[in-house]
Amino acid sequence: MARQAGREEIAPEAESSNSATNGLGCWIWAARTFDRQTCLLWRSFDIPASTTVAQAWLTMTADNEYNLFLDGRNVGRGAEWRHLGRYDLTQLMSPGKHVLAVEAYNVDAEAGMLLGLQVNLADGRVLHIKSDTSWRIVPKEVRGWQTMTKAPDSWPAATVIGPIGTRPWWTTPEGIEINPALQLIKIPFWQAGWFQIILLTLCATAILISFYLMSQLTFHQKERWLLQQERARIARDIHDDIVSRMTQLVLHGEVARNDLPADSETRLQLDLFCEEARGLLATLDEVLWAVNPRRDTLRDFASYVTDYAQKSLKHTSIQCVLDVDLEMSVEAIDLPLRRNLLMAIKETLNNALKYSEATELLLQIQRQNQGLAVVVQDNGRGFDPATPTPGRNGLTNMTQRMAELGGHCRVISQPGQGCRIEFWVPLNRSRRHLWGRMWRSKQFSTNVIETKNPAAKSLTI
Amino acid sequence: MIPPSVRTRGPLKVALVEDQPKVRESWTRLINSFSDLSCICACATGEEAVRIIPQKLPDVILMDIFLPRMSGIECTARLKVLLPNVQIVILTAMDDQELVFMALEAGADGYLLKRTKPSELRTALLDVLGGGAPMTSQIARRVIESFRQKAKTLGESVHLSVREEQILAHLSQGYSNKQIASKLELSIDTVCSHLKHVYEKLHVSSRTEAAVRYIASKTPP
Repeated sequence: MARQAGREEIAPEAESSNSATNGLGCWIWAARTFDRQTCLLWRSFDIPASTTVAQAWLTMTADNEYNLFLDGRNVGRGAEWRHLGRYDLTQLMSPGKHVLAVEAYNVDAEAGMLLGLQVNLADGRVLHIKSDTSWRIVPKEVRGWQTMTKAPDSWPAATVIGPIGTRPWWTTPEGIEINPALQLIKIPFWQAGWFQIILLTLCATAILISFYLMSQLTFHQKERWLLQQERARIARDIHDDIVSRMTQLVLHGEVARNDLPADSETRLQLDLFCEEARGLLATLDEVLWAVNPRRDTLRDFASYVTDYAQKSLKHTSIQCVLDVDLEMSVEAIDLPLRRNLLMAIKETLNNALKYSEATELLLQIQRQNQGLAVVVQDNGRGFDPATPTPGRNGLTNMTQRMAELGGHCRVISQPGQGCRIEFWVPLNRSRRHLWGRMWRSKQFSTNVIETKNPAAKSLTI
Repeated sequence: MIPPSVRTRGPLKVALVEDQPKVRESWTRLINSFSDLSCICACATGEEAVRIIPQKLPDVILMDIFLPRMSGIECTARLKVLLPNVQIVILTAMDDQELVFMALEAGADGYLLKRTKPSELRTALLDVLGGGAPMTSQIARRVIESFRQKAKTLGESVHLSVREEQILAHLSQGYSNKQIASKLELSIDTVCSHLKHVYEKLHVSSRTEAAVRYIASKTPP
């Protein structure tokens, strides 16, 4: 049956002789034989698409050694020409094109390769592939030759050395080595190409996003840093240009006043002048407090608020009692937060001063649940929070202001029972969001660094 | 109010450290306008103060907190080493308790706002000399905190006594010396002298040369 090279014989199942040498081709080799020769033999074949493979056995040997590849996978090897190797390739055969490749090596003298592949198809047909002239010789090792589905024209056909029984080889093999059935290599999903590509893509995306965030972070940090610098500069300017000079003014005024006789009209006016200027300086203290970034700490805030409360209650009948966490840290409290909180507390103190008729007022500042809790409680006459009282409309403002900061404000009062107002503001507002947290933690660490050594900055105001 | 030892010696000798010439002049005139105060020396820089003041032996030093090069705080620390018995009062334009606390830690015995009325200035100076340096609740809180921290981190040998801590705690709650005295059934003088000891203890750790160097390194020129 002379067939075109590269075409396989498909025949209805004929005599299925179990003889080992049945179905084998001839000894084939390259046109030239020499010592220490590597001969690469190649053949492709098709399994019809319409059917499945019931069984596929390959039998082969070579003088002296061989490596057998199916579709690029090394499926067998042998180094004894007296024996035949038998391989069960059933699992590896599927409809479509396949490539058999043999890398044979001749130590010396005669050389040949003998092979037979029998594929039993599910529909009863049998496919025979034998070592014959349909094989091609790969003249020079090409990368990936074991998987090439088409042979270039430059690959010559194999040369038949002789049929089975040709000297010096055997007529019947001395032994048959049956190899265990080869299984499809199950590639774990993490080794699969698609998975690795997805993984790489994800990594690349993550890296890109990180770069973006980092640049954003740097940008924000720089912005923040610039803002702080600017605030520090303004604070310094106010101090040097306004506070210092106004203090001088007061001083000169006092000196001038002292030089005047006690009953002088001008002296009284100078007194008023100095008093007014002192009031102005006290106001500037507050402006400086708000502007100076060095004072963005919890401790300073507590200090300032308690000082304010004491001063405003100093000349009243209300005793101011303070309860401040000793461990008030140098943790940062942002400008909007501390300003709004101060305004709310001021409002509360004002209300207490005007309406409560209390004798005692408690101001409590405590670190609580990731936030800052401030309680202002008096033992005054109280009121019903449900009924709006003229003058006390500040309460709505306060509640709104706290809500804007992500916190809350609670008013507990009853007529005759005093009044308790609780404020709570979160100190890390964006902690709820992942990005926010990243951004926050960075922010926080900067603050820690900045405030770790408050002394280093203190004298720059 | 004025301790007899001081009164018998005539007017209180005040030294002034202030960098601005006009302000210095005004302060001098203001101090001299009181019959019981006398400004014996006015320095323009911390360096000058450290050099000159020890020879003049004043009773009290008024120290501007912001000085060029050597800061008022560093100068205070250095002078306290040289003159442990001289009272130093920090002058500050702003009411900044954090800065004030640093000055107190460095060895100052009290502080005054520059805008303080002259009459109050006099009382405050006499208070400091009488050992009754006033302490605000904010400072009291910082003092307690500072001693606790030192005890924790440095194992500092200087501790507050129970009574002192009690008084500081009351101060930090906003009670006045008078109220504390009646609450603890002490005389006001006793409360004041306890506070004086607190100040002294606060200064002890600042009096060594090492501490001066530490403070100097903390304060920018």
